[in-house]
Amino acid sequence: MLKRVGLLLGFSLVLFGLIGLAETAVPETPGARVGGTLTIGVSQTFKDLDPRIMNSVYDSYVVNAVFDGFVILHPDTLEPMPWVAKSWDVLSDRQVRFYLNEGIKFHNGDDLTAEDVAFTFNWIADPANNSPNFTELIWMKEAIVVDTYTVDIITKDEYAPYAPGFSTETQAIVPKNYVLEVGDAAFNLSPVGSGPFKFVEWRAGERIVVERNEDYWLVYPNLDRIIYRPIPELSVMMLELESGGIDIADNMPATDVARFRAMDYIDVPQVGSLSYFHVFFNLLSPISSDIRFRKAVYMSVDWEAAVFSVFQGLTGVKAYGAVPPALWANDQEWLRDNVALEEDDAQAKRIFAELKAEGVLPAGKTVRVMTPLDPRRTQLATILATNLIENGVPAEVVPLDWGPLLDLAYRSESDPIGDFELMWMGWSGGPDPQDFLYYLFHSDNATVGSADNMSWTQIPEVDRLIDAANTTLDQDEREDLFVQAQRLIFQNYSAIPGYHYIETRGVNTRVHGYKISPLSNMWMTTPYHNVWVEG
Amino acid sequence: MFGYTVRRLVQMVFVLFALTLLIFALLKLMPGDPAKVMAGLGARIETIEAIRVKLGLDRPWPVQYWRLISGLFNGELEAMTYHKPVWTVILERLPATFELGAFALIIALVVSIPAGMLSAIYRNSVLDYTVTTVALMGISIPVFWLALMLMLVFGVILRVLPVSGRGTAIETVVGRWSFVTWDGFRHLIIPSVALASVQMAMNARLTRASMLEVLQQEYIKTARAKGLKERVVLVKHAFRNALAPVVTNVGMQVGTLVAGAVLTETTTAWPGIGRLMIEAISRRDQAVVFGLALFLAAIYMVSYIVVDLLYAYIDPRITYD
Repeated sequence: MLKRVGLLLGFSLVLFGLIGLAETAVPETPGARVGGTLTIGVSQTFKDLDPRIMNSVYDSYVVNAVFDGFVILHPDTLEPMPWVAKSWDVLSDRQVRFYLNEGIKFHNGDDLTAEDVAFTFNWIADPANNSPNFTELIWMKEAIVVDTYTVDIITKDEYAPYAPGFSTETQAIVPKNYVLEVGDAAFNLSPVGSGPFKFVEWRAGERIVVERNEDYWLVYPNLDRIIYRPIPELSVMMLELESGGIDIADNMPATDVARFRAMDYIDVPQVGSLSYFHVFFNLLSPISSDIRFRKAVYMSVDWEAAVFSVFQGLTGVKAYGAVPPALWANDQEWLRDNVALEEDDAQAKRIFAELKAEGVLPAGKTVRVMTPLDPRRTQLATILATNLIENGVPAEVVPLDWGPLLDLAYRSESDPIGDFELMWMGWSGGPDPQDFLYYLFHSDNATVGSADNMSWTQIPEVDRLIDAANTTLDQDEREDLFVQAQRLIFQNYSAIPGYHYIETRGVNTRVHGYKISPLSNMWMTTPYHNVWVEG
Repeated sequence: MFGYTVRRLVQMVFVLFALTLLIFALLKLMPGDPAKVMAGLGARIETIEAIRVKLGLDRPWPVQYWRLISGLFNGELEAMTYHKPVWTVILERLPATFELGAFALIIALVVSIPAGMLSAIYRNSVLDYTVTTVALMGISIPVFWLALMLMLVFGVILRVLPVSGRGTAIETVVGRWSFVTWDGFRHLIIPSVALASVQMAMNARLTRASMLEVLQQEYIKTARAKGLKERVVLVKHAFRNALAPVVTNVGMQVGTLVAGAVLTETTTAWPGIGRLMIEAISRRDQAVVFGLALFLAAIYMVSYIVVDLLYAYIDPRITYD
């Protein structure tokens, strides 16, 4: 699951961060000890450390330490807080001026200036560079240097004059001169940032080590070092956490939560994440395109029970819409009460029989339920297929690796329809409903060869509502637009909402000040906290 | 013998060439577009296309094949997702696999050969039954399960060994080696015992069977009748003759230990080439998969050649010329 961050963070920035925000002082942590090493277990191996191209949440753990973000979202409120940018002014319909903190230095001694900010953002936003993070700055026209510590962000005409949706780790600021000197490939393997920790080494398959930046401008980081250890087997990661081999485990299965909670030296912090998992219908398929089929599939399963059986009520909650409960405009209650369908096998059987009689469900046809190899989604796919079979519809679960799964989901010139009826998929986004609704359900993103809108939902009114939300700053109006759009999407039954993941980590009690974030990041020293460890 | 060796090496070249074609074909037939996987979920079609062009995945298959082969042999083949040459990616992980394989082999031999010998000598005794039973368990128990149990018992419950990963390593001109440090040695124990378990069991069984057969031979009776000490009879005469099939088996295990430690490395988070293969496959890094598959094939072939030569050395009756 790739980390996606707030495309439209800027709306929040304007609403909460208008003119002259004061710098935020890092709160003192009573009894904090300076020194020590923190070891973090990471579920996957690392791939890219250049924030301009990094698009994995696991790589972001290291980027969080080595780089400073342009702004940062508070983990509790998701409100933007100053970081490299200390304040901003909305100058016009399409122009926002950012004032940078002065005296920030990169680890190689270079000053962080507006040149570096403009270089970073313009590089990402330049389609010629093919940055995986391009879409996160798709609203930006250009970044312009005004003076050494002032940069203007110009937005495209079709976007409202909001302060740009800068994420934290993907729009971390890179040193322009150093990058141009060493080249992108070398910078990716040995990054230089301005963050609280300096990159030390990357031992392939073993660990990445960062150490304290003694000259960090914001606060003196409490930790000496952070070691990131990739441990792909979750059961082994739990053993490492239990034995003290690691201090933080970035994941924990539901079956281990109670066990670790019972240990007096392990905490299990949890927070609703900004993720959404669903089984979507292939609306291009002649079978799934029939709304009766979609409703009958919905009615074939007790979805509350199914989700509970997988997550035990601990690491996942039933979803009723795409926007997670942690975000505004989620409208979960209304969707649950007015759109979600209760299990009704009799009704489902009747509808399936009707569809068979009409030839919509051809005789001998086996409905294909595709799923990634993730055990949770495979389990849910199996529950769905089993219930369909019980209701008279032959069904099979087809677990696939990412490669062939994406080939199918993205469609192709040779297979524009896609040989499947249902597919489990997941998405993680930033702190704006746009990040879910636009990518997953706007017809812009139903493109053969690359499709986030994998269901191929094409409802003009939904497009209009989502586009309209781009053009207004009125929060109430935006919320209303998103609510309307989401209701239309799910009344169309384009997808059956599955679950929202509850971010669950295992943290040794020797670690103090760590805050779990719905954005899945792994900040240790930021404007609002400074993690420390006991000896 | 020299001629035989040269012939085998020449054969190896032809076999490797044939393997390059087979591996390339399998890579191309593997489902899933590598460019889409590398671009990640939500990538623009232009980004996917750019990756495809940059990595030469849009070129005709013969062109792609030539690029892989020539790049591999001139050392310039870049990994698709590791931002380094393929040989660098492989060689930086190789020492970890070598030391894991070597330790596993040493453990397997030190335990299994004496156990097999004693089991044969004291046939049908409690010792024999114990060795046979333990060997059967060793063959039957999945390596990854054994590794997990060892981690649980020694790493979590007893807390005498690290649970997983590789310990402190020393940088040398031939790579980074961890067995030379105490921390590194401690990290080696669990994965190498787990990896050695199957080899231990098989070698013990094979040694026992081979010894039993040799001990029935007339020359053994003759040796005893001549009044030789039993130790001399067993070690100098019986064991040496029983060794041949054991050597063959061990030689074949060398290749397996280097190339087949995938499960052990993945379970114990050991950063070797077995785990690298899994990573590269899941990333669809065709360059690394291609280079690594050929490298591992070469390891197997060389180990088989060495075994054949060793066989002839042990048994002078064997000639190849």
